[in-house]
Amino acid sequence: MNQTKKEILPGQSKVALFYLALVLAALIWFTPVITLVLTALKDAGDFARNGAFSFPKSIRWENFSEAWETGVKNYFWNSVIVTGFKVPIGIVIESLAAFALTHMHFKWADRVFTYVLIGLIVPMQMTLVPLTMLMNALGLIDTLVGLTILYIGFGVPFGVLVMRGFFRTLPVAIIEAARLDGCSWFRIFYRIALPLALPAVVSLCILDGVATWNEFILAQIFLRSDELRTLPLGLVQFSTQFSTQYDQLAAAVLIAVVPIVLVFLFFQRYFVAGMGGAVK
Amino acid sequence: MANSSASETITSVAARTSKPAKARDDSLRFLPWLFLAPALLIYSVVVVYPMIYSSWLSLFRWDGVAPTKVFVGFDNYVTLLTQNDVFWIALRNNAVWLVAALLLPTSIGLGLAILLNSKFRGSHIFRSIFYFPAVLSLAVVGLIWTWIYHPDLGLLNQALIAGGLKSFTRNWLSDPNIALYPVIIAATWNAVGLPMLLFLAGLQTIPEELHEAAKVEGAGPIQRFLYVTFPLLRETTLVVLAITAINALKAYDIIYAMTNGGPANRTQLLSTWMYFLTYNYNQVGLGTAIAVVLFSLTLIFAIPYIRFMTRKA
Repeated sequence: MNQTKKEILPGQSKVALFYLALVLAALIWFTPVITLVLTALKDAGDFARNGAFSFPKSIRWENFSEAWETGVKNYFWNSVIVTGFKVPIGIVIESLAAFALTHMHFKWADRVFTYVLIGLIVPMQMTLVPLTMLMNALGLIDTLVGLTILYIGFGVPFGVLVMRGFFRTLPVAIIEAARLDGCSWFRIFYRIALPLALPAVVSLCILDGVATWNEFILAQIFLRSDELRTLPLGLVQFSTQFSTQYDQLAAAVLIAVVPIVLVFLFFQRYFVAGMGGAVK
Repeated sequence: MANSSASETITSVAARTSKPAKARDDSLRFLPWLFLAPALLIYSVVVVYPMIYSSWLSLFRWDGVAPTKVFVGFDNYVTLLTQNDVFWIALRNNAVWLVAALLLPTSIGLGLAILLNSKFRGSHIFRSIFYFPAVLSLAVVGLIWTWIYHPDLGLLNQALIAGGLKSFTRNWLSDPNIALYPVIIAATWNAVGLPMLLFLAGLQTIPEELHEAAKVEGAGPIQRFLYVTFPLLRETTLVVLAITAINALKAYDIIYAMTNGGPANRTQLLSTWMYFLTYNYNQVGLGTAIAVVLFSLTLIFAIPYIRFMTRKA
């Protein structure tokens, strides 16, 4: 640690103490993650003898390939498909709506926005039974298409909230100028407003992508066959089936978490920007 | 961050004050509806209509399969309140969960935000570390913590034994008297990130000069927190409390992953008990009635929140 190399200052021991406390807290905070990684890397026998929180005697990479082949592969690609369709479609329709609510002199804007906000607070349980009936009638139970449609619907409130928050900050003058030049509203939307909103779009992509990747209850209700399961659902299933094979289970969990970690590492500042937009 | 939000405020104030003269553009009668149509359509079908229909269904006795539903008025609610013991367990657990959620993640998040708001070397790394659990799915959080609580191989019991506290070891998730609390701890680990993030954003809107001025006046760190920081974080605090409460009442996945409502239904929440009644016991009327109760509880926290969100419009 470089902070201990600082020149001698009166407050130096205070600084060192501050860092020590912080590092200790961070270590404790991260213990579950460390445990997960250590478990995924060792074989089951090592785990049974030495417990979770010990360094692996030998690193066993096969845990990952075995978990991948036992089913995680399917879960992973299902999650990729659902997230890959849900996020872009959602953002297009949410941005269109948010644009209408902010820049089109729409008389009903406030009422429609309130109507949309209700969706943020509705517990999923409140919709499950009618949705089951609806999806049954449409033959969409146990299909990734059906699940994706549900995700798009449930994503509308948060997406509109974030995009509206950003569109409100666009100067009216730009839009008015384009109007005077005879630009159509749709052109203004996709040639001016949307490009200017790129930071918000990226934020929303990431928050929404993570939320979709992690969704559990709708997947649990509406996917029935094992080969269609998405990751969170598949992992819980995996854990009841292979409850004693901690090494493989940990590897499976790690595979599910890695994409999220990568997104988090590369786009971290967008989490802050996106949540900030949602609160403003 | 502080700069951009300041400029955002300026532009949004400008946006709101300059009402343009083009308001009677004729194309604008229908065009906004066209822009709104895809989002409103799918949202109404997937969220709003099922919500209303659920409330209606809660007035019927129905097994979810039979072609006829029997109208019973408020009987399902009466049954829940008078004959369904697990409903009361779930309600109590929801209350405990809610209180814990309003106290723990919010205060830890505030503490971390204040600690990590000052720019020191590595502050960004620490922010990431403490935020990280918030991006994990609750199913994954549940699975990881289930291992930690494992009676023989779990880290918690091993650590207790290593620390000479063997008498404190438990079968954490199988002991009906305490099983809910380990789950709440795991949920807290995941729930700290959001309040921390929101408080950090809130802290950055407080001008440094205010702290300097208070320092000159001789205010210590605790006084500065009580009289400068905290009053200015009032709005953030309200938003954090509302979001935390709403999220707490939505808790479901983590119960499912860790205890599945057991042992002996002692860790059921309204959300999980609704699932059991509806999908395992085919009591659709009772299930939807629970959903309505859960939604009503959410509204207590959500109405002020929605008011706040639409206030600036």
